[in-house]
Amino acid sequence: MNATQFLTIFISAVFVYNVILSRFLGLCSFIAISKETKPALAMSLAVMFVTTMSSIITWLIYRFLLLPFGMTYLRTISFILVIAAFVQLVEMIIKKVSPPMYRFFGIYLPLITVNCAVLGVAVLNSDMFFLNGKVLPGSFIYSVFQGICVGLGYTLAMLLMSGVRERLDLCNIPEAVKEFPLAFIIASIMSLSFMGFNGFKF
Amino acid sequence: MKKFLVEFLNGIVKENPTFVLLLGLCPTLAVSISVVNGIGMGIAATFVLLGSNIIISLIKNVIPDRIRIPCYIVVIATFVTIAELSMKAYSPVLNRALGIYVPLIVVNCIVLGRAEAYAAKNTVVNSLFDGLGMGIGFTLALILISGIREFLGAGKILGYTLIKGFEPVFVIGMPSGALLVIGLLLGFFNLLKSKRE
Amino acid sequence: MTNKLIVSVSPHLHINESVRKIMWLVVLSLVPAGLAGVFIFGPQALWVILLSVASALVTEGVLQALTKGKVTISDGSAFLTGLLLAYNLPADVPFWIPVVGSAFSIAIGKQVFGGLGQNIFNPALVGRVFLMASWPRYMTIFTKPMIYDAVTQATPLALLKENKILAHISYWDLFLGKRGGCIGEVCILALLLGAIFLLSRGYISWHIPITYIFIVGLFAYVFGPGGFFTGDWLFHILSGGLVLGAFFMATDYVTSPLTQKGQIIFGIGCGLITAVIRLWGGYPEGVSYAILMMNAAAPIIDRYTRNRIYGTK
Repeated sequence: MNATQFLTIFISAVFVYNVILSRFLGLCSFIAISKETKPALAMSLAVMFVTTMSSIITWLIYRFLLLPFGMTYLRTISFILVIAAFVQLVEMIIKKVSPPMYRFFGIYLPLITVNCAVLGVAVLNSDMFFLNGKVLPGSFIYSVFQGICVGLGYTLAMLLMSGVRERLDLCNIPEAVKEFPLAFIIASIMSLSFMGFNGFKF
Repeated sequence: MKKFLVEFLNGIVKENPTFVLLLGLCPTLAVSISVVNGIGMGIAATFVLLGSNIIISLIKNVIPDRIRIPCYIVVIATFVTIAELSMKAYSPVLNRALGIYVPLIVVNCIVLGRAEAYAAKNTVVNSLFDGLGMGIGFTLALILISGIREFLGAGKILGYTLIKGFEPVFVIGMPSGALLVIGLLLGFFNLLKSKRE
Repeated sequence: MTNKLIVSVSPHLHINESVRKIMWLVVLSLVPAGLAGVFIFGPQALWVILLSVASALVTEGVLQALTKGKVTISDGSAFLTGLLLAYNLPADVPFWIPVVGSAFSIAIGKQVFGGLGQNIFNPALVGRVFLMASWPRYMTIFTKPMIYDAVTQATPLALLKENKILAHISYWDLFLGKRGGCIGEVCILALLLGAIFLLSRGYISWHIPITYIFIVGLFAYVFGPGGFFTGDWLFHILSGGLVLGAFFMATDYVTSPLTQKGQIIFGIGCGLITAVIRLWGGYPEGVSYAILMMNAAAPIIDRYTRNRIYGTK
């Protein structure tokens, strides 16, 4: 476990293999919610929180429940159930603790359950930090850190995209590419530019 | 019978999940690097769609409304697991190629979306045709996108080189290219739609 | 389209004449670098430039005609894009590279956004990065300077990336352009001539380029190969596409922030990313990627550095 591994995970999750621009996870919400900065930021924070927490919980489940009992084939079902339950729990807590915040998040919270990024990072962690049923050194802390970085990558993409789309709102876009086609083309160029960090080695 | 045909065709053209409803884009873009992968994912997703639509339509009156989403997810996850394990057993190459996107069919917006929007409100037979139509629409979209991407990005179709001396445009096979292709396709379809009106 | 009130983001250019004037003046300021490139790399460089410019003009003309808009290719912006793309290419690329790249720059980097003033990304860089990702083999064949036959030689930055010794290159060589590289980036002297012209007339401001170059130099110095504070900052400043990028591409009005504070942030961002890629990334040069990433951030930067209007919060 060393510092450079953390840096590599950071650069990899935020830039080179950015969850949205490179792995396409969370694309639906990205295209739908990146029109304005405020909702984009709100969604990003919520997603980052959930990816981090779900990284923790799913790692524990994989390590202490699925692996020892040889039930890794139940990974998909158990992960998604846990995530759905967790998001439901968070929703209920926020509703109780801070109704204004609950109203602020609105529909975004339940949408996070089906955000591919959340299940995606959980599956990614179990693929990357376990090998043939063995726990690799530093597995837990790397998984959690990757969860945070995936959230950061999501936030970065959302923030940049919302700024761009807000600016384009003031312009005269050709009819055929208005809204979604242009959003994809912008994402394409952003994805291309993020590739600049390929081969990063500290 | 005609009604079923309408449902079926709906999923392919009018409400094509990829190009019209913009659902399930995550796996579409990730997997469409080659036509073989596209077809593989399409078949897997269609299988899950069919299974989940049928089952959910069967039990729709029994599930309490408050926990319907988690119930749907359990049903869908079950079929995804069956698909995942079958793929691992019978086609490990395809399984490796599709990677994490097979388990991700669980959160594929198409599957959950159809369960919530259709299967929960319609008869079993209707849901069957809807699932079939959506699945095939999804598969056709995948074939179109991956056909373009494989040809331009690798100079091949289904592994066969078509034009000698063609310098493939590598970027098309990369994530950036995927986003570009779908952006341009969507723009193209918009253009067609406005020309028709 | 005729009587719509169009509210656009400033700078508001009142007369089309001034857009045209600025574009052609920038083109003029780039001529010395082009001449130097042709002199250093031979007639194939001239072909690349001509093909790139022609392709840009044709693409814009055709697209504008097809969408029944006004054909504005005489405003110089397409010409400038074609020119800048050519300057970012090695001299020995196959003829279709500048043609395809330029067409892509104009079509995807500019027209799809609605044309001049509305693009988010620098079109020439969009084209260049597209070419780099699509045909990396062709985009990285660099030839020996002053020998017009195709004798290949790695660029100084590429050699540095592979930790090879650079004994035979002097700062003078770098400054005058006697090194492998892209057509318009090698002759720092010629580039500076053009840059000083633009700066003195006020067509570009110093904030972005100076900040950008300073940050790259600083990082190169601090994170030197032999330990902290041992870096060769002059080498880094004179190598690669930094001078070309900092003065002529990062300063593009449309794709960079409006306020001075925003521009400094922009310059710092470009410098940081370029330095990180050069020092620790897989590619030897990061200027194109850095500028494009900061282009994406420019709207957000603008949003948070807006000048306060008197009387409001």
